[in-house]
Amino acid sequence: MSKFKYDSERRSHRFGRTLLIMAVSLVTMIYIWWILAIILNTPVIPTPDLVWDAFLNLFRNGDPNTNLSMWDHMFASLKRFIGGFILAFAVAVPLGLLIGYSKFLDEFTKPILEILKPIAPIAWAPVFIFATTVAIGPILVVFIGIFFPLLYNTIFGVKKMDPSLVDASKTLGASNGQIFYKVMLPCTTPFIMNGMRIGFGIGWMCIVAAEMIAPIGGGIGYFISMQGLTLFNWPNVFVGLAIVSVLGLLTTGLADYAYRMIAKRTGME
Amino acid sequence: MSEYIEINNVRKVFRQDDRETVAIDDISLSIKKEELVSVLGPSGCGKTTVLRMIAGLTEPTTGEIFVDGNKVTAPGSDRGMVFQDFALFPWRSVRKNIEFGLEIAKMPAAERRERVDKYIDIVGLTDFADARVHELSGGMKQRVGIARAMVNNPKVILMDEPFGALDAQTRNIMQAGLVRILEKTDQTIVFVTHSVDEAIFLSDRIVILTKRPARIKEIIDIPWPRPRDRASPEFTALRKRILTELEKENVLN
Repeated sequence: MSKFKYDSERRSHRFGRTLLIMAVSLVTMIYIWWILAIILNTPVIPTPDLVWDAFLNLFRNGDPNTNLSMWDHMFASLKRFIGGFILAFAVAVPLGLLIGYSKFLDEFTKPILEILKPIAPIAWAPVFIFATTVAIGPILVVFIGIFFPLLYNTIFGVKKMDPSLVDASKTLGASNGQIFYKVMLPCTTPFIMNGMRIGFGIGWMCIVAAEMIAPIGGGIGYFISMQGLTLFNWPNVFVGLAIVSVLGLLTTGLADYAYRMIAKRTGME
Repeated sequence: MSEYIEINNVRKVFRQDDRETVAIDDISLSIKKEELVSVLGPSGCGKTTVLRMIAGLTEPTTGEIFVDGNKVTAPGSDRGMVFQDFALFPWRSVRKNIEFGLEIAKMPAAERRERVDKYIDIVGLTDFADARVHELSGGMKQRVGIARAMVNNPKVILMDEPFGALDAQTRNIMQAGLVRILEKTDQTIVFVTHSVDEAIFLSDRIVILTKRPARIKEIIDIPWPRPRDRASPEFTALRKRILTELEKENVLN
């Protein structure tokens, strides 16, 4: 009992220390920004207080140029992001399982994937937008961004699977379907989650970039592009950048948490 | 007594790229029901391959294997297997690992639970039924492996160096435990090992294989009662004799 108390006290002490360092780090960042803004003395880099005012104003009164609230912008970006993610998941995971399982498919798809992989997802934006619509194009950009890390991690997961687990399940009478659901899927889940974690980071960058290229229907990228390139309202641009950062942190943090939960549950840690 | 497992002129050639390796060169062997037969031989001689062919995990290049009159063509739950590296499912608890085969066979949950409880008790893991695999010691892991194979009530249990990854002391405890468990069951066991001591302690018969390509070098009957005394003169004498035989296989390469 006393040992437990000691441990929990120590843990909360450590947690407090981490929080303190984090706070000091963030304050330092804001000061450096402030000093840089004063030294550079250009409207393009506003001081933090101007950005803070712009932030309060935007969240109170909404974006005056589109009649959308900031929440609408955020929601629009998240919707595209989730759409792209669902699409990527639906394609990359089954494909990855098949490629990992079949040596022929692996060899057959390798040249195609290797050629497509180095193309930055955002480079596809013009093609996707004109091949589909301005609404669907950005979703497809996110799809590409998430697709590759998810696919490669899934393939890796299947290949890393201990073959004796499959042998064991065969000698316990499992059919191919049962091996797939009861062995392959749980074995690869942590790897799929890891692919998601990486894909979320890339996908989030993709959506903001794609919205800047296809500026319609709101979105944080659209907001930044409008405020910066058309209206030259630099404090508002920085508010947009801050929102991109926070939403990105939230989405990847969520995937990170899910990954760790599943890794723990599956005994992979 | 009836011939339960029959291995008829089995030969196994592994092909990799354009290279051929003859792993097993014409083995014929009959194993009776309820017999415990150990397969001994120099490292890499193909002991495990023999076991995998009985399991149906590897196909013989030529020749046939019959278990209880049926030709082996694929793995099945009538031939349980215990693996050297345990091959437990890390995302399942001890109970769920043992339950796997019954789940596959779609046995009703209540019946399943009762059966699993019985085997958890047999291998002495009642206090660890809900533990995760990574929380167990090596010896406990292999007890799960044995229970998982036995719970299906297979006709044959194939054990591939099951205690090879354990330390010497745990290994002795596990061997004694296995002898106790086997007294209560009627399963036929084929046991691959590289430990002469283990083979003499456990087996009704020991099959000694030559170095690759493997043929049967000698079959030794051990009609002694169990549990056996490792320090007895006949045990020691037999150990020495077999070790000398195996030594020859190693020197000749």
